[in-house]
Amino acid sequence: MESNERQEQLIADSLWVEQTIRFQLSRDEESIRLAGNDIVAGNLSKNKFRERVATLLRNSREMRRIVWLDAHGKLVESTDDVPVSLADFSAPSRLAETNVRKTMAAQYSQPASPPGVNRPVQMDFHLPLLAGERYIGSLIASYSTASILDEMVPWWFAQDNEILLADGDDKVIDKRASGGPGRGVYTHSRALDLPGLTLTLRTNSVKSAPKLLPNLLVGSVIILSIGLLWSLWALWRDINRRLAAEGALRQQVSFRTAMENSLLTGLRARDLEGRVTYVNPAFCQMVGTPAEELVGKKPPMPYWAPEAMDEYQERFSQVLAGTVTPQFETIFQRAGGERFPVLIFESPLVDDTGKQTGWMGSILDISDRKRVEALNQQQQEKLQAGARLSTMGEIASTLAHELNQPLAAISSYTTGALNLLNSSDAQSGALDLNLLKSALEKAGAQAQRAGQIIRSVHAFVKKREPMRETVAIQALIDSVMPLVELQAHQFFVVIQSSIAPALPPVLGDHVLLEQVLLNLTRNAIEAMRNVPPQRRLLRIVADEAAATPNVVISVIDQGHGIPDDVTDRLFSPFFSTKAEGMGMGLNICRTAIEFHGGTLTHANNPQGGTIFRFSLPSQK
Amino acid sequence: MLHIVDDEEVIRDSLLWLARSRGIAAAAYESGNAFLASLDGKAEFDPQGECVLLDVRMPVISGVALFETLTMRDLAQRLPIIFLTGHGDVPMAVDTLKRGAFDFFEKPFNDNKLMDRVQEALAASQQAGAMAAVQTRLAALSVREREVLGLVLDGKMNKVIADQLGISMRTVEVHRAHIFDKMEVKTAVELARLLK
Repeated sequence: MESNERQEQLIADSLWVEQTIRFQLSRDEESIRLAGNDIVAGNLSKNKFRERVATLLRNSREMRRIVWLDAHGKLVESTDDVPVSLADFSAPSRLAETNVRKTMAAQYSQPASPPGVNRPVQMDFHLPLLAGERYIGSLIASYSTASILDEMVPWWFAQDNEILLADGDDKVIDKRASGGPGRGVYTHSRALDLPGLTLTLRTNSVKSAPKLLPNLLVGSVIILSIGLLWSLWALWRDINRRLAAEGALRQQVSFRTAMENSLLTGLRARDLEGRVTYVNPAFCQMVGTPAEELVGKKPPMPYWAPEAMDEYQERFSQVLAGTVTPQFETIFQRAGGERFPVLIFESPLVDDTGKQTGWMGSILDISDRKRVEALNQQQQEKLQAGARLSTMGEIASTLAHELNQPLAAISSYTTGALNLLNSSDAQSGALDLNLLKSALEKAGAQAQRAGQIIRSVHAFVKKREPMRETVAIQALIDSVMPLVELQAHQFFVVIQSSIAPALPPVLGDHVLLEQVLLNLTRNAIEAMRNVPPQRRLLRIVADEAAATPNVVISVIDQGHGIPDDVTDRLFSPFFSTKAEGMGMGLNICRTAIEFHGGTLTHANNPQGGTIFRFSLPSQK
Repeated sequence: MLHIVDDEEVIRDSLLWLARSRGIAAAAYESGNAFLASLDGKAEFDPQGECVLLDVRMPVISGVALFETLTMRDLAQRLPIIFLTGHGDVPMAVDTLKRGAFDFFEKPFNDNKLMDRVQEALAASQQAGAMAAVQTRLAALSVREREVLGLVLDGKMNKVIADQLGISMRTVEVHRAHIFDKMEVKTAVELARLLK
């Protein structure tokens, strides 16, 4: 860029110089012409000539002399004190004079030295003096090329540039190099056209090509400054970031500490050798040992219960081998010796390079949970008992009705018997003992029947622990039949039971299974409440499952069936379609059957109504 | 005749036995339909009166439905119904009582009290039967005979009646004889008792 600027500057300056030279030469030309015109007009005599042109020479110092020749080339007058003849002019000048006479047009001669001397190189302006068409002489103004360069080129330009004048053949005529030789880096040539002569003005700057080093230095300083500023800014930014990061870190650390301290979960970190490297307050509180006594300790740990030592050792070796299950339950011992159940989650502790440095364990004291589980269990049992009672409530009215029958009969028989006795008293004798006996027998039979009803209910209401015993299907169905019949009777439902021959027994709790059957049959009977009496058929079918060693018992009704929208929630607790239902019946049934390792399903009965089917693993 | 309608064999048997011990003729039916069938073949009512002991809860036709059928056939007067209700059927039984049932007993019942009510029902039935017979006889009287009957029952002498009706004594006597004939009585006192 710098070189471009310089080059342009040089070109502009060269132009200016060329213009200056041309302008000066044409002004000189003009003055000489004026003098010539005066001579032709006879206004300027030979005597006055010197005086006139001396002024000219004084003003234009590049002009060395002016010679006035007549038409024959003889000297008329000259500014030189010594007489000058045509022979004193250089050969090119003489040639130019000849041309001028011929062409009668002003002309410059090729610059050349006068004969016999080397310097100064001169360039002559030949002006023909014409009186009309007649040639009457010439005015020859001699310029020293060196003077042209010296006088006409301004010093400041010469200071910075070598200036050359070259002829048409590119031969250097003269040069000015006051500022030293040109470097040839920035150059410019400019043609200087004069009448009869073409010169070339060549400028060659003394300035060398822009130097790399200083430029580099300047550049470096600038870059370094920028760099410095940037560094300062980066530093400032870095410090800010660092401060922010530190703040965040501090916050994180305090957050984490607070978190660890407030956690109810115990945390314990161990290195690869099993040495405790960290415990949180919750863990210390859990085992009742301060952190100082735990950190750095190797197994066996103070919180290990002596009786479970083998289990710990085994698991510890698993931990070291990396084969430990990530979650397990065990017991720990508090400092006071109290044992408590814990749930441990073990996960590898990995540093930022991805290398495992130890193990992190979170320890949950699950004694509360265990307590809640136990409580839930109790609640569930209570609920089941409640449901059992509610089941009883539902059949209580049936029971009252059923008990009424034998009681009413007994009452009638005994009253009748008494009537007989009274009437025989009144009639003195004639008592039909057989009649009396049959009445009392019938009364007794009815009392037995009432007792049976009571017993069948009693066995059902009794609360007891579930047990596993061999239960024969036939016996199971037979034992619930009286109660089922009670309910069936109330709604005039016919019962059909078919039990496949040689059915293997199942292992289970007969009371639970009876309850399931009773629930299912009660549902079936109630489902048929609103169908025509001839359709009220309850079938209980027991047979062996086709592919599996299971016994399948189906309770089949022809009732209203189960709507699709109810199907999904059928086994949900507290879901009931009955106004007085608790919604526990089917839920308990399913639980009970699953307790026996079986399944309880339902399907639509092709004949209308529903089939509830449960399978029980048979005992072969 | 006591009709026992109950689907429970035990109840039927024990009630039959009880009725027998009180000397009441009784028959038992295992369903409402069986009882209705027996009514269809019935020529006339037992002059000793009739009564129905009806179990409320029965398959096919319940006691209440049977009661309604009997009421619709206008037999409730001649066949007084005593309901035997189980536990919890009391409000329904009271309702039937309002609609003309004779009584209801809640099981287990006091048997002799039941039998007492059965006998009262039989008597009522008997009376209703008698009333019905009198009505039939009254229906046979001509208009003039009824006028004469009214005056006879007022205790008026034949002469007074003849004067009042503007007919002869002789004609009154003929009417009177016809009335006694048709009403199947011999004396005016008997007639008055019948139409009491």
